[in-house]
Order: sequence, then C-alpha cells, then structure tokens
Amino acid sequence: MILTLAWKNIWRSKRRSFVVMSAVAIGVWSIIFMVSFYNSIIVAISRNSLRYDYSHIQIHHKNYLSDPGLNFQVKNPSMLMEFPSQMADIESISGRLIVNGMVASPKTNLGVQVYAIDPADEAAVTDLSGFLVKGNYFKNIKRNPILLSQKLADKLKVKVRSKVVITVQDMEANIRAGAFRVAGIFHSKSPRINKDVIYVRHTDLSDLLNATDSSFNEFAYLLKDNKSLVKTKQMMQAKTDNLVRTYREIAPEFDLIEEASSVSKQVITVIVMLALLFGIINTMLMAVLERTKEIGMLRAIGMFKRKICFMIVLETFMISMVSAPVGLIGGFLTNLYFKKTGGMDLSRYAGALEQYGSDFIFYPEIDRSTYLLLMLVVIMTAFIGAIYPAIKAINLKPLEAIKKL
Amino acid sequence: MKVIELKKLSKIYNPNTIPVRAINDVNLSVEEGEFTAIVGPSGCGKTTLLNMIGGLDASSKGSVEVGNISIHDMSESELTAFRLKHIGFVFQAYNLIPVLTAKENIEFIMVLQNIDAKTIQERSEDLLNRMGIKDQKNRRPSELSGGQQQRVAVARALASRPKFVLADEPTANLDSGSTEALLDIMAKLNKEEKVTFIFSTHDQRVIDRAKRIIKLVDGEIVSDEYI
Repeated sequence: MILTLAWKNIWRSKRRSFVVMSAVAIGVWSIIFMVSFYNSIIVAISRNSLRYDYSHIQIHHKNYLSDPGLNFQVKNPSMLMEFPSQMADIESISGRLIVNGMVASPKTNLGVQVYAIDPADEAAVTDLSGFLVKGNYFKNIKRNPILLSQKLADKLKVKVRSKVVITVQDMEANIRAGAFRVAGIFHSKSPRINKDVIYVRHTDLSDLLNATDSSFNEFAYLLKDNKSLVKTKQMMQAKTDNLVRTYREIAPEFDLIEEASSVSKQVITVIVMLALLFGIINTMLMAVLERTKEIGMLRAIGMFKRKICFMIVLETFMISMVSAPVGLIGGFLTNLYFKKTGGMDLSRYAGALEQYGSDFIFYPEIDRSTYLLLMLVVIMTAFIGAIYPAIKAINLKPLEAIKKL
Repeated sequence: MKVIELKKLSKIYNPNTIPVRAINDVNLSVEEGEFTAIVGPSGCGKTTLLNMIGGLDASSKGSVEVGNISIHDMSESELTAFRLKHIGFVFQAYNLIPVLTAKENIEFIMVLQNIDAKTIQERSEDLLNRMGIKDQKNRRPSELSGGQQQRVAVARALASRPKFVLADEPTANLDSGSTEALLDIMAKLNKEEKVTFIFSTHDQRVIDRAKRIIKLVDGEIVSDEYI
C-alpha cells in the first residue's frame, strides 16, 4: 500500500514530476553521450598511434635511447626477425634503420628522420601503403625512391617524381649525400610521422651509409591482440639482451591521456549528478511541503516516522527508476544511431583533431558496465536527494502540521 | 469500564512569557460506549482537550490514562504506536489521502497495523457497507461529497478497531442532510457495537444527539450531564 501511495504521490503534480524526470533522463543521456564521445576520441588517438606509429612492441639496443643513431644497432637482428615464427601472438614485424639527416629540394632543405625500411614489412606493420595520397608505394622509380608526407612535400615544394637530396652521417661519421626521387606522398594518421619522417628502402640507405643489410636500430612488432602485450614482451625480453619496450613504455602519454580522460568523465558525471541532486531535493522538498497537512494526519493516525521516511525515499527512488532507464536507453540509441549511420562526422575540426592524431569520424562507444554503474550512481543520487526532504517530513509535528492550511 | 480518565489535566501555553491557560485542572472519565459531546464557545479549549486525550498534544500538568495506561510519559514513537492501536480520529476537514480511493483510505490504516490482506479486504468492505458508500469505494475523495468524505473518515477511524473515536467538529463542513446521515451512522455504531465517540462541537444537531454533554468554558468544565 505504501508502494502504491508513493507511486500515486509522484503523479500528484504531473508537470513537476515530468520536469524532474526529464532532467534526470537528459542528465543520464548527456553523461552516456559525453563518456562515449570521450571514449571514442581516446580510442581513436590510441588506436592511430599504436597502429600507425609505435606498434605494440619495439626493440632497440640498450644504449640506443642515450645515443640514438648508428652507433647502437640492435644485437643479433636475425634472431629478432625469427620472433614471429616463434611467437603466435605476433602478426607482423618491421626492421628499421633510423638516422637523422637533411633533405634538400631545389627550393629549401629540412631536418628529417630517415626511416630505412623494407616496404612490404613496413606496410604490414604501419599500413604505410594505405596512406598514399599521390604516387606509388616505392614503385615506378627504379633508383632510390622515397616516400614523404604531404606536409613535408608542401614545405619542400616537391611532387611525385621530384628529385631531393638526402644528407646523412655514415658509420664513420662522414657526411654522405644521395639523390632520391619522390615515389609517393602520404598522409599518415600519426602527426609525428607527418611532421618529419621520410621513408627510403633499407638497401638504398645501407648503400649510402656503407652499412650492411643486417644493420637495424629498431624493430617494431604488431601483435594480433593487445591482451598478449605483456606476456609477449616478457617472452621477447627473455630471449634477447636488447631493450624491449611496449608502446605504453615508449609513449607514457597513452597513460596520461587515459588518466585525464577518466578524470574528465568523472568530473562530468559529478557535475551532472550534482545538478540532478539539487533538482531532486528541490522537487521532493516542494512535494513534502505541499503535503504538510497530510503528513501530519498520517503521523496523527499512527504512521511511524520510519514509514514516512520510507515513503519519501521510495518516491524519489521511483522517479529515478522511471527516468534513468529512459536516459540510458536514449544514450544507447544515440550511440547505435552513430554506429549505423557512419559515425559522428567532425570533419569541420579535422585540422585540430589531426594534431592529436585523432580521426574526425567518431563512433561513440561505452562499456556495458558503465550503464549499470550509471544506474547505481543515479539511484545513489536519488537516495541522497531524498534525505533532506525525508528529514523535513519526519520532523513535522503532527498537531502543527494538521493545522497548516 | 473506563476508557479515558483525565486527572487534574492542565495545558498552559507560553508558560515562561505570557502564560495562557487553555485547560485548567480538568478531571474527567469516559466509560466504554459513551456518545459524548464536548461543547463550548470558540477558544474554550475543546480541541486542545481532544488533542491531549489523543496524545497529539502534551499536557502541562496532570495525567491522561487510556484504558488504565498513562500516556503522559510515552515517547513520540510509543505515542504513535498507541494512537495507531487505540484511537480513531475524525477531523473537521476530513483529511483523507487525496490520491487513494475511498476503499484504499480505509484500508491504509489497517496496512499500518500489519493486518493480513484478507482481513483488510473483509473489514473495509464491511465498513463501506455500513457507511452506505459501497458504490463510491473506487472514487477518490475529490469525487465524493463532503458527507461521503466524512463517512470515509469515520470508516477509517473505525477500521483499526480503536478503544474510542475522537471527532473534532466532524459536522462543521457538512450540510444538514449529510450531518443527519453521519450522525445516524455514528449513533447506530454506538448503540449496536458500543463504539465510544467523543466529539468536540458547537453544532446543535450533534449536541441534540449526544448522550452526555460536557460544557467547557475558559478551559474548565462547567457542566457535565447525561441525557
């Protein structure tokens, strides 16, 4: 009966209940949407950095970080190349010889990082071939082809088949220069690569540097699944005395981004819930004050304080239980809509988003557990919101309350 | 058998500033089955007296015993339980729960008493019959006339099988026809089931039907006569 009474009490003032229920539903929907949107940005940035730049695991010489260059090449590269056949979780591998150098065009010259790669291996690890916007992937240029980003091409004022000169230091610290021709221009999803990386064939750079075909200072491994990251790293480290690092160790900003995102999501949730809390308190307080006389009568005929309190809490609980699922379903349907219709297109902000290595089409996504968690948070907020009005109600003196007009 | 006994009961408002003596040394006992009207001019203390008997207001001095149990020293929670179990209330403004139907209003107090559903059902149907409002059982208070609402209020007061019913100006908002019908029902309950009624009223129609009339002036009983 108290359940029935609480339910009927909610609908005494339909407009007021509708307003507070709408506020709860919209609040919940906005949290779902914001959290999903945040998640999609973080996922996009992380996925792009991982897939198109760092890969899951990289191996360097132990001293490479203190002196990046040719002096500290990875030890026993042939063994490192065998890892994919030994470890099932590895999908692909790319060995690189990376040196700093200068690239000069007839118009200007720039400092760059020269990545000497095996084109097929690199395509399998970073999908570099997929980013070509002009030209071909090391094809149609027989001697010394290079790939560079659209950004570098614009700065150098070169196009496909233009000639550029790359200047680097060889193994003996002699300055060596070589003429290369632009085979393709790419636009990677990694801002770092777009900024100052050019790709040449390993054999071409080896010739220029007087290095051997087995000269590498970086190996990048793409795994089939992120879940096996730590295990695979440990297995690799057990087999080599080179430095084995996961992408999280290479780029600690991954953790920072996730941490910042997590804090942002919590702050948004707290702000929305605080707004809802005050809305609920206000509504329930009005409901109690409107029913002062009735509550006085209930106390007079023998309704215990605890039951009055229970009734008020129940009313608040019902309001949240009706409205929160509406918000949750709304949030779910919004996410579903964007999934089915090709994502949320923020191409208007593509320039800014690219700076962070993000796509501009977003697919809002959220863990299923977040729905449940949010429901619990709303229920908790409703209970907290019910406390003050309930205290007000149970502190009414029956005689004084009955006399109220 | 004594249902109520008041001994030297006093109520003084503002005792520390400007004391107002609402009830002054009242001694009174009410036997089971009485149909008593407490009468007097406005402000004489009728409602205050009823409130103290019902445990809604505390006395300044003296004691109230209901069925040989003193309610003077009871805690708020004990008083609530006591009212629920032993006292029925009928208010001037009916004070029904507007969102519940007539039947649900009657049943609500039995739910508070944790009575089983079958008994609640039987007793509420019986009371609706006796009050002559069975046809209105599914209507909300706003859909009932004043007389019908007050009959629901009487039924609610009786639903908990109280030792007595306190009715504060129960006919003040009713027309003649409704007043007569309500008084007929209460008189019948009093006669056939020995339900004890105590009214505060200045309605001559109620006074005419009362078996005992207690006249209160300035918080003191000036006359107490059985008709």
